[in-house]
Amino acid sequence: MTDQPKSSDQVRFLDTIRAALGRADAPPVDFQSVIDNDLEKTYKDALAAIANRTVDQKKELLKNLEQAAQPLNLKVKPVKDIQTASASIAELVQSKQPEWGTHKQVVAWQHPLVEKLDLTALLAEHNIPVVFTEQLSEAATAEKIEKHRRQVRQSCEDAFIGVTAADFCVAETATLVMKTRPGCARSVSLVPSIHVAVIKLSQIVSNLKELYAHLSWDFTHKAEGLTNCMTFISGPSKTADIEFTMVHGAHGPREVYIYVITD
Amino acid sequence: MVLINTEKYIAEAKEAMKDSNLQKALSSFQHRIGPATAATYQKLPEGPELRLKAHDMRMRAIENLDVLLEVLADNIHRRGGRVFFAATAKEAVDYCLQVAHQHRVKKIVKGKSMVTEEIGFNEALIAAGIEVTETDLGEYIIQLAREHPSHIIAPAIHKTRKDIGRLFADKLGIPYTDDPPTLTQAARKALRAKFMAADMGVSGCNLACAETGHITTVSNEGNIRMSTTLPPIHVAFMGMERVVASLEEHDILFRLLARGAAAQNMAGYVSYVGGPATSDQSDGPQEFHLIIIDNGRSRILADVEFREMLCCIRCAACLNVCPVYGKIGGHAYGFAYSGPVGAVVTPLLVGINRAKDLCQGETLCGACQDACPVNIDIPRMLLALRAKLADGDKDWNVVRNSLAEKVAFQFWAWVISKRARYDRFLQLGYLAQKWMPGADGMISRLPLALHGWTRSRDIKSVAKASFKKRWQNRQS
Repeated sequence: MTDQPKSSDQVRFLDTIRAALGRADAPPVDFQSVIDNDLEKTYKDALAAIANRTVDQKKELLKNLEQAAQPLNLKVKPVKDIQTASASIAELVQSKQPEWGTHKQVVAWQHPLVEKLDLTALLAEHNIPVVFTEQLSEAATAEKIEKHRRQVRQSCEDAFIGVTAADFCVAETATLVMKTRPGCARSVSLVPSIHVAVIKLSQIVSNLKELYAHLSWDFTHKAEGLTNCMTFISGPSKTADIEFTMVHGAHGPREVYIYVITD
Repeated sequence: MVLINTEKYIAEAKEAMKDSNLQKALSSFQHRIGPATAATYQKLPEGPELRLKAHDMRMRAIENLDVLLEVLADNIHRRGGRVFFAATAKEAVDYCLQVAHQHRVKKIVKGKSMVTEEIGFNEALIAAGIEVTETDLGEYIIQLAREHPSHIIAPAIHKTRKDIGRLFADKLGIPYTDDPPTLTQAARKALRAKFMAADMGVSGCNLACAETGHITTVSNEGNIRMSTTLPPIHVAFMGMERVVASLEEHDILFRLLARGAAAQNMAGYVSYVGGPATSDQSDGPQEFHLIIIDNGRSRILADVEFREMLCCIRCAACLNVCPVYGKIGGHAYGFAYSGPVGAVVTPLLVGINRAKDLCQGETLCGACQDACPVNIDIPRMLLALRAKLADGDKDWNVVRNSLAEKVAFQFWAWVISKRARYDRFLQLGYLAQKWMPGADGMISRLPLALHGWTRSRDIKSVAKASFKKRWQNRQS
């Protein structure tokens, strides 16, 4: 059921379609009858089939991910635990130079896994600030929201590296999947020149079919929905618009790293 | 406002064939991507037959468009997004202008969208004093050069790196270079400033999902994510046919789309957008408008002969294999849609008579259907359009193309319907050809209206006795 009365443009438009389909006077068709139930079932079954994947099988997926990532110029870094990930990311931050200025700053999601990296402490000794895209309280005034949004925008513009988590990573296509949640600003994986994502081994799924099976049929994901913005990222930004020559870094990040925590 | 140049097809095609840079670019492009796409279909776990399944899915969606669009709109409303149903190009543009005026929008950044080309969006907004910047690198090049895209996915393939180097030196004030990475970096820098300053971001929609209430945008550059994340307002334009019922269908269709469009396993970025940012989110547009466009599509939907064309997801795979597109390029087609898809869609949208050369120019070789990720029978529809041109059609307001041609074919049909009559006709031809110029058993110029056929090649002369006659003589 819809919450709003139908606008006149919608009524007129859909009437035209009904007439074109030759069912202007037919009783309304139920949406459920349009859904291909057999197709849906194959996804539901696929999800059940992968419920008990062994550690070895999961490591196999990691290998597939590394293979798929290579031609995309996407770097996959398996690390045994969160400390190793932190150290490695801190090293990366030190070794890379900013694209747009000289000031080094990192922007990161306010997300449990990202916070566990404790990058603030690690990078403090090198005078590299880490700014988190904090979650606003629900009671925030419009003015406060505006100010907060401006700050987040500025931090993302100023940062040369953005650190995020992800919901899933698809091995076959090397695709990071991220829903939008409070504290997890979209710009962090978009505006800085380098995007670093941290995931756990268990978040790797084999292929797109498994991904869609999770999104549609996994209990928590089904309940949450896709959120108002779900993004798939398969490698760094690229273009081949000039004489079909592949160039990385058209608009989005020029480099993407995925740290996979295997323990 | 909308630029339609379909009448210039033949003249433009001739021009294109004289352009050696374009010929080189088209040939190299088709050689690279055409076979690569075919190979990726072969490598699908389900095999190339998955395209047939995808075709069924798309047909099912098209035949339930009313239901799907209503559910899609309801779901987007629920998240605080607005949906406008535009019957015409003008309604769509006017709605967007109204939103722009309401918010005093001065600068728009735009992701690539064919439907906005179709409705003349850029021209209308620029006329209203609003700056519109195309952000896909290819589209940006085309916009700087004040041209129109010549390919759906690779809009600037007709330009050489030297052309682009000179263009950027002139328009962006950078030192001349023909190095693609340096040129790309220059555009990256210039457009980054545009993204940050824009008051509105505009995108198309590749394929919406009714069940979840999302549109999707697909790019490799990340420009559409930039356009739809940074500005405070996101306006998305969507042809009414670009929707399916359930999320599961996206798995199959996106795998095929990436293969058809760029022989990729997956596009660089795919985003599902289902409404504005909520107040507890730190970024993303605070307003989201979806404009669903008819603009002649319901007429295509009403005709079962052409309904199948609405399955198209505009991946441009057919352009990449078409022998005609491969010689004449995209501009000759005179409208937003070029290649085989353009040869069917354009006549249906702008008028079959007006765009008659488009459907008559194709070869019916069938390569487009084999390359199509949703297996659309384009050759069948090209023939159907030609039949309408031959006979005229009231429903589509088609005036018969040529009465003389019709009479000639009627006469021919009459001649070949009786063997004796046909034999007499051949004898007549045998006698008449003595007055026609030619040599070595070939005729180099046919008389009257038929001479068009011999303008670029000779025709074999009629033999003294027909094959049938000679066969009979041999047997006896």
